[in-house]
Amino acid sequence: MARDLSKVRNIGISAHIDSGKTTLTERILFYTNRIHAIHEVRGKDGVGAKMDSMELEKERGITIQSAATYASWKDIEINIIDTPGHVDFTIEVERALRVLDGAILVLCSVGGVQSQSITVNRQMSRYRVPRIAFVNKCDRTGANPERVAGQLRDKLDLNARLMQLPIGLEAEFSGIVDLITMKALYFEGKSGEQIRESVIPVEMQAEAQERHQELLEELSMYSEELMEALLEGGEIDTQLVYDAVRKGTLSLEFTPVFIGSAYKNKGIQPLLDAVDAYLPCPTDVQNFALDLRKNEEEFAVTNSPDDPLIMLAFKLEDGRYGQLTYVRTYQGNLNKGDTVYNSRTGKKVKIGRLVRMHADEMEEIDGCGPGDIVALFGVDCASGDTFTVEGIDASMSSMHIPEPVISLAIIPVDNKAQTNMSKALNRFTKEDPTFRTFVDHETGETIISGMGELHLDVYIERMKREYKAEVTAGAPQVAYRETITARADFDYTHKKQTGGSGQYGRVAGYLEPLEEGDYEFVDSIVGGTIPREYIPSCDKGFQKSMEKGILCGAAITGVRAVINDGASHSVDSSDVAFQLAAIGAFKEAYRKAHPVIMEPIMKVAVEGPTEFQGAVMGSLNQRRGMIIGTVEEGNYTVVEAEVPLSEMFGYSTILRSLTQGKAEFTMEFATFKQVPKSVGEELIKKYEQEKKNN
Amino acid sequence: MDREDLITSNPLRVLGLDNKAEEGRQSLGLVMARAGLGKTAILVQIALDSMLRGNRVLHVSIGESIEKTRDRYDEILSLMVEGLSEEARTEVARRRMIMTFKENVFSRPMLEERLKDLIQQEIFQPDCLIIDGYDFDGNGRQAMEDLKVLMADLGIAVIWFSAVCHREDERVSADGVPAPCHAIDDLFEVVLVIKPHGDHIHLDILKCAYCQVEPGTTLTLDPSTMLIKKA
Repeated sequence: MARDLSKVRNIGISAHIDSGKTTLTERILFYTNRIHAIHEVRGKDGVGAKMDSMELEKERGITIQSAATYASWKDIEINIIDTPGHVDFTIEVERALRVLDGAILVLCSVGGVQSQSITVNRQMSRYRVPRIAFVNKCDRTGANPERVAGQLRDKLDLNARLMQLPIGLEAEFSGIVDLITMKALYFEGKSGEQIRESVIPVEMQAEAQERHQELLEELSMYSEELMEALLEGGEIDTQLVYDAVRKGTLSLEFTPVFIGSAYKNKGIQPLLDAVDAYLPCPTDVQNFALDLRKNEEEFAVTNSPDDPLIMLAFKLEDGRYGQLTYVRTYQGNLNKGDTVYNSRTGKKVKIGRLVRMHADEMEEIDGCGPGDIVALFGVDCASGDTFTVEGIDASMSSMHIPEPVISLAIIPVDNKAQTNMSKALNRFTKEDPTFRTFVDHETGETIISGMGELHLDVYIERMKREYKAEVTAGAPQVAYRETITARADFDYTHKKQTGGSGQYGRVAGYLEPLEEGDYEFVDSIVGGTIPREYIPSCDKGFQKSMEKGILCGAAITGVRAVINDGASHSVDSSDVAFQLAAIGAFKEAYRKAHPVIMEPIMKVAVEGPTEFQGAVMGSLNQRRGMIIGTVEEGNYTVVEAEVPLSEMFGYSTILRSLTQGKAEFTMEFATFKQVPKSVGEELIKKYEQEKKNN
Repeated sequence: MDREDLITSNPLRVLGLDNKAEEGRQSLGLVMARAGLGKTAILVQIALDSMLRGNRVLHVSIGESIEKTRDRYDEILSLMVEGLSEEARTEVARRRMIMTFKENVFSRPMLEERLKDLIQQEIFQPDCLIIDGYDFDGNGRQAMEDLKVLMADLGIAVIWFSAVCHREDERVSADGVPAPCHAIDDLFEVVLVIKPHGDHIHLDILKCAYCQVEPGTTLTLDPSTMLIKKA
C-alpha cells in the first residue's frame, strides 16, 4: 500500500543558543513516547538530554551536531533535526534547512529575538522554510511572549500572531488559552502529560474574545471561505480557521506563534498539534534536482515512490557503530540490499543496513520512501552527495558553503596522537565541509581552518575525547589569501643538463585574474610544442605554486593560468621537469601580476541598549569596521558593520566592558577584501621575519 | 554610462545644489509624491550622485529596514553606472551610512544625539543627509527650523526629505508646493514633485533657488527603472 505522505513531517528546531530548544526536543520525544524519562540539558542526573548525544555537548550544554530523530504524534510521523544555535556551526543549520520541509523557531520569552535568531531566520527565508514560532520559558522572571511576538514582526519582518494567551506568567504561568478553540488548557500529571480542558478564566475572557476576533480577521486574508463566514456572522467552523493558518504558514505570509515552557512541561502537546496542522508535508514543498545529462538543468522531484530514487546525504557521523550517513529521500524507494549510485563519484554502493536514528540509538528498518530521513551504514561518501539508481543521473542542487576564515596550527604530542589525529581529521573534513585541513610544507605543521574560534575549539576537543588525539594548538590566525590584479606573461625554461639524466621543459603563457572561482587552467597549446602527456604536469606545477603566495605565505586564489607555447626535449623532458618549469613560470609571472593580500571581512551585528550605541560604533570604527547602519528600536539598537576578522579577536571581552555586559554580538563571514596598504606591508614584513627565523 | 560621464551628465546637475554646497551654503531639498510613486528611488539617486562626487551621505530611513535600503542603493547604482568594479563599489559604499528608526521612535533630539555621536567620535561626518519618511503632518515649522540650526552646527551641507502628498488635500503654496509642506515651502531651496502623466512619470521642479533652469522645468523618470532623465 502506498505510504500517505500527508502524514509525514520533516522539521527542524532552530533558534538562539540557550533558548531551550534541546529541552523542547527532549519533551517532544517524551510526549511522543520515544523516551520514557526526562533528563535536563545541564541536569544533575548526569544523563543529559537525549538529543545532545556528544559528550562535549552534554558538558557545555549546547548543541553542536544536529542529531536526527524520529517520533510519531497521533497519526503523524515526525522526523526531527535538532540544530545548533551558535553561528559558527551554521553549516549544520543550513544543511538541516535544506532537507527539511518546515521548522519550529524557538525563542526565549525573556531574551526574545536576538541576533542569532535573525541569522537563523535569514537562513530559513533563503531556503523558503515555512515556520511556526514557539516562545519558550514563559515561567521565567521577565517572561513576555507578547513582546517577543512583536519583535518577530518588527525585527524579523514576519507576520507573526499569538495563537495562544498565557494564563499567568513567570512563576504564575499555569496554562494557556487557545485563541481558536477558545478553551483554557492546563498541563497536569507528573510531567504535564495530562491535558485538562477548561473554560477561559473569567478575568481573561474579554481579552481572549477580542484577540480571537483580531486573529480571525487577520486569517481571513488567507481564506475567502473564512472571510465570507466572518461577513455572514454566526458560528465559525474551526477547521476553516486551521486551514487558513496552514495556507498562510505554507505561503510564508503568516507565522503562528505558540507559547509554553518546555522545562515546566507546558504547551508542548499543542505545539505538536500545530506541527501536524500547519507545517508542510513533503508534497507541500517543491524540491528541485539537477539533471547532470542536460547541463545541470533543474527539474522538480516527484515525491513518488514509483519514480527512480533520488536521495541526498546531508550529514555524516562517525559514531560507535561506524560511519553513519544521514539521507533524505526525495523520490523512489530504498530497500535493504539495494544498490545505488553516488552521482558525484559514479560508484555503486550496496545498502547493507538502514536505520532510523533516535539521537544515539537506532532502529533497524527494511526500507524507506519519499520524504523519509534515515541513516545508512557503511556507505563511503561525502556530505552533500546525491544517490540515485541506474538510468537517472541527477544531483540535488548544491548548497551554499562558506569559505573558512580562521586557521590554527595543531601539533600532536606523540606518535600515537599523530595517527589518531589523522583519523580524526579525515573524519571531520568529510562530515563538515566548512572544516578544512592541510599540511604546511614549509613548517610541516598541520593547519586546520574553519568558521570561527569556537568551531575549531570544538574539533580540537573532539579529537581529544573521541580519538584520544592529544594536540597542542597554536594561536588562531586569520586565513588570508593572495590574489593577482593584473595579467602577466611568462616564458620559463627549466633546464638541468649537466651530466647524468637531464631535465628540460619550457612553458610560456600568462596568468590573469579569475573573477569566479579559485583556479582555472587553460591549455591553448597548438602544434604540440608541449607534448600532451606533459600538459597535466604543467597544471600540477601551477596548482602547487598556488598553495603558498610570496607576499605573506597565504594560499593564492582567483588565478587563471593559460599556456600557449613551450618546448620539450626528446630525452630530458619529464613529468617532474614540466612541473618545475610551471612552478618557475608561475613565480616569474606572479610578481608582475600585481599580487595583493585579501582578508576575510565579517558581517558583525551588535545589539544592546540604546545608551551604548555611541560606544559600540566607536569600538567598531577603531577596528577598521565599516558601519553599514544602525537600527533604532526604542530602548535598544543594533549596529551593523563589516569588520576585518583580524580585528575581532577578543572583541567579546571589549564589548562586555564597554557595555557592562549588556550588549551581545554575532558575526558571520561576508566576503574577502583587499587589505589596506599599511596592513599589507605589516603582513609582508612579518612573513619575511618568520622566514628569516626559520 | 561610466562613472565620470554620469557625474558630468547627470540630469540632477540642473538643480545646481552641488555647486552651492561647495560654496559653503546650506540647503534643504524636498521630494514629494503620492504614496508608492518612487520618492525613495529619487532620494537614492540624489544620494548616489553626491557619493560619486566624493561626498558622504547619511541616509535616515524611518520605518524601513537597513537591508531594504541597502538593496535600493545597490540596485540603483547598478542601473546608473555600468561595469563598476567591486573596489569602486566598496569605495562608494564607504561614503554611505544608513540609520533606521521605527516610526514611533524617531525624534529630532534622538537624531541630533546620534549625529553628534558619529561626528564627535569621527566615525562618520556626513555632507548630505537624506531623511526618508519624515512626518510633516506631525511636525511643524519649528521642528524644521531646529533641523536647519542643527545642520549649521554640524556642518551638514544638504538635507533632502521625502514627503507624501494626498490627492484629496488640495492645499498648495504660491509656488505650487502641495500640502503638507505648503506652509513651510519657504524653508526649502529645492522642491521636486513626482507626477504621473499617462505612460510617463514627470519630476517637476516646483522650486529651485539656485537652479540653472527656470522653475517649471520638468525632468522625466524611466518608469521601469525610475532613473531620472532629461525631458
